[in-house]
Amino acid sequence: MSVDARLDQRSKPGGRTRALVLRFLQACGLLAFTLVFGEAFVRILCPQPVMPRYVTGTDWGVRGNIPHARYWHYTPEVSVEYRINGQGMRADHDYPLRKPAGTCRIAVFGDSLLMGYEVDLRDDFTTRLEELLRARGRSVEVLNFAVSGFGTAEMLRTYEAFARRFDPDVVLFSWHVTDMEDNVRSALYRLRNGKLEQANPDYLPGVETQDFLLKFAAYRLVADHSQLYALLRERSGLFTKRLAVQLRQARVSAGTAPAPSGDEDEEDVLHAAHLQANLDLSSAIIEHAAQVVAADGREFYLVEIPLRVSRVEFRSTVDVLSPAVLADIRIISPLAAFERAARPDLKIYYERGEGHLTPAGVKLLANAAATTLAESPRLSACTAGAAAAAPPLSANPSSRSLFAGD
Amino acid sequence: MLFNSGIFALFFATFFPAYLLVRRNIFWRNILLIVSSYAFYGWWDARFLILVAVSTSVDYLAALGASGKPVRQVDGLKSAAYLAAVTAGSLLFTGRDWWLAAPVAAGTLAAAGWVRVIRRATPARQPRLWLYLSLGTNLGILAFFKYFNFFVGSLTAALDSIGVSIHSPTLSIILPVGLSFYTFQAISRTVDSYRRQFEPQYSIVNYAAYHAFFPQLVAGPIERAQRLMPQFESVRPLDLKTFGSGALLFVWGLYQKVVIADNVAPIADAVFSAPAGQSAAATCAALLAFALQIYCDFSGYSNMARGLARCLGFELRINFNLPYFARTPSEFWQRWHISLSTWLRDYLYIPLGGNRKGRSRMYGNLMITMLLGGLWHGAAWNFVVWGGFHGAIQVLYRVLGIDALLERRPPATVGGIVLHLAAWSVTMTLVLIGWVFFVTHTLPDTVTVLGNLLGTSGYPHDAFATLAAYAAPLALVEMYQRASGRLEILNTGPFLLRYTAALSVLLAIIAFSARSGRQFIYFDF
Repeated sequence: MSVDARLDQRSKPGGRTRALVLRFLQACGLLAFTLVFGEAFVRILCPQPVMPRYVTGTDWGVRGNIPHARYWHYTPEVSVEYRINGQGMRADHDYPLRKPAGTCRIAVFGDSLLMGYEVDLRDDFTTRLEELLRARGRSVEVLNFAVSGFGTAEMLRTYEAFARRFDPDVVLFSWHVTDMEDNVRSALYRLRNGKLEQANPDYLPGVETQDFLLKFAAYRLVADHSQLYALLRERSGLFTKRLAVQLRQARVSAGTAPAPSGDEDEEDVLHAAHLQANLDLSSAIIEHAAQVVAADGREFYLVEIPLRVSRVEFRSTVDVLSPAVLADIRIISPLAAFERAARPDLKIYYERGEGHLTPAGVKLLANAAATTLAESPRLSACTAGAAAAAPPLSANPSSRSLFAGD
Repeated sequence: MLFNSGIFALFFATFFPAYLLVRRNIFWRNILLIVSSYAFYGWWDARFLILVAVSTSVDYLAALGASGKPVRQVDGLKSAAYLAAVTAGSLLFTGRDWWLAAPVAAGTLAAAGWVRVIRRATPARQPRLWLYLSLGTNLGILAFFKYFNFFVGSLTAALDSIGVSIHSPTLSIILPVGLSFYTFQAISRTVDSYRRQFEPQYSIVNYAAYHAFFPQLVAGPIERAQRLMPQFESVRPLDLKTFGSGALLFVWGLYQKVVIADNVAPIADAVFSAPAGQSAAATCAALLAFALQIYCDFSGYSNMARGLARCLGFELRINFNLPYFARTPSEFWQRWHISLSTWLRDYLYIPLGGNRKGRSRMYGNLMITMLLGGLWHGAAWNFVVWGGFHGAIQVLYRVLGIDALLERRPPATVGGIVLHLAAWSVTMTLVLIGWVFFVTHTLPDTVTVLGNLLGTSGYPHDAFATLAAYAAPLALVEMYQRASGRLEILNTGPFLLRYTAALSVLLAIIAFSARSGRQFIYFDF
């Protein structure tokens, strides 16, 4: 149609409306084309793991798993179903506040690695650890308080405000390289003149938006199945995380960065200063967490998650922490076990999803933890048999109200 | 801050709405551009702003004087006040290194002394003396910050080799980002004013905005005042179409940088960080990777710079024109880093006599230009050797008359096509060999890499597969660009094709960006 013809048509009664409708239809068509093309592009050229995170805000100011949530993760390597109990833990039943007589409790805190991303419940760390300790004659329950995206500061907040009500005997905090940035980003704590102090009252990134979006079935459908959405969400999250860290580091360097000296490149000096500041913060939070747990009369352990360099090469992640942490805190490290087990044909970490532990990796980690915890004085008080028959109490009224902060 | 960083996205998102508000008022628009450009540049180190201000203040006056225009007392005061304000601002911001005020004050006094000398000189001599002020200041800054340790170290080594041992006073000097670019741009404006090819104006605000224009401040293109300065003296037309076209050019540059350059860089790094013992094929893959990396890194930056400028209504020159299609070394330099090549041609090669004083002088001039062009890239002998190598092959091509032969035999016949293909293959091989001198920083490493290339061992399948995956789409795009003569592929063709291409590039940036962002290679120059 020529321009004149279009103008002519628009000048006619109803022509303007028709033009607007046509425009609207064109925009809708373009949007549909964009979504279909984008989805096809991603699925063909760069298949993405679809790993929706079902988290929401808690009354203690950090994220928690959505109670009773049930969802799936699909990666090029594995498909996994997740069931969250009524208390926000990955478990197939709720736990009463009071532990069964003769049974010890281990509270596990971590991020997606210990929450069991990319492994079935039967293969996850808490299930494996419980099995191994029971096999060693310990009557234990292992409670999984891990939440994807958590750093040490959020683990501590969850312990203080929620998990200690379950009266655990032993508390395990995971430590991975991502925790360092997570602790900076959450800003729940800060170091002032070398002393740790509480900073922000809460850290709930994107929770309100997610809560709003999850009300819509169409969003849930996209979040649970679209690889394009998974890519955009993962990359935008990464972008936001990096930006937050850069902005925080800029503020640090404006105040505390040392002047360049000798022949060192100033950027390296600044980078080292940022890194050290971040590590100091994480070390201080870990020390504080250990003190809080010890003050409650419980044992505290730090569980090292080694860094994967290649399929057969791993690096320690705890050796960067402060000497005080390394000297005072009991560390469970699977590094030696990983190195012993490493083979070119064995995956300890998944490689095409989000790099979580495989069942083989979880098994090695749980073995290392069980070996260390078998020597725990607290756990040695709990003999086998007493709690083995303790039934799951999913209908326990006190546990139902816990997540809402009773 | 890097164009491919989140900080820059935040910066631009804050800057652009303010720009839209003031863009029709030249004075306030340029004030905003100055403040924003200084914030952009000061993000690396606010102390570097003092150098930008020194260059701005001096060249503001020098260009006026060199053009023969009267330099009034009020102009001198404006220039000094500008320098004082920026110095005070940057020192207040950093809160340290207050001693820097002393050399700035001393430099200002020295410049004032030189201005007194100029005023006493005859009117005919004054423009030349103003030119010397600009050359002395800009080349002095460049010599001190970029080449001091190189010159002192080389002198010490030379004396050491003849048995004379001296104490070498090397200093801990930080090379300010983009120094070579903005000093060259400042020099060109003053020289053009001296040659009466450009008429400088009295507004220091307009000039400071031009001098510090953030899209091209740190890595060019090195602009000419005749082309760009008038854009700062007028309201720039800007509509949605222009903005969209700039945004797409930026996106294409971003793709070149974060998808191609950053992803092939590890292949090059793996070999060139420890070249000894590497197989021939691994070295070959690394060399190809480096050639791709440096091209996409720098041309990507140039495209981003041009795209950003266009989003603001400004038009920067093309800096790369498909250089890897060059059939002779001369053609390569007409297509690679065009703004530097033409700068060297106009301000070095031609003033040396160019090709007007006989063949031997022409070859000599070519060698001098390329040697200094190599040195411009970095204060190290490997860059000088790289420049010398390119000079030598250009001389050789001229001696053999290859450029002329190719002009006589266009690729219109089968014989012509074969000839041009052969010439292209030879030139690309030479360019690749040249990159060996560029990427290796010691003579033993250079020899090792060249030795490795002569072997026949090894076949790093993964490295070649990665290279092919990133190079093949670019090669197809560039073949289309060459065939169609349209460099801005995302801005040409039917709507749906452009839309699909832009969508693909955006998705590729999101999906394939290297996880670890790298600084642009040319920031070091």
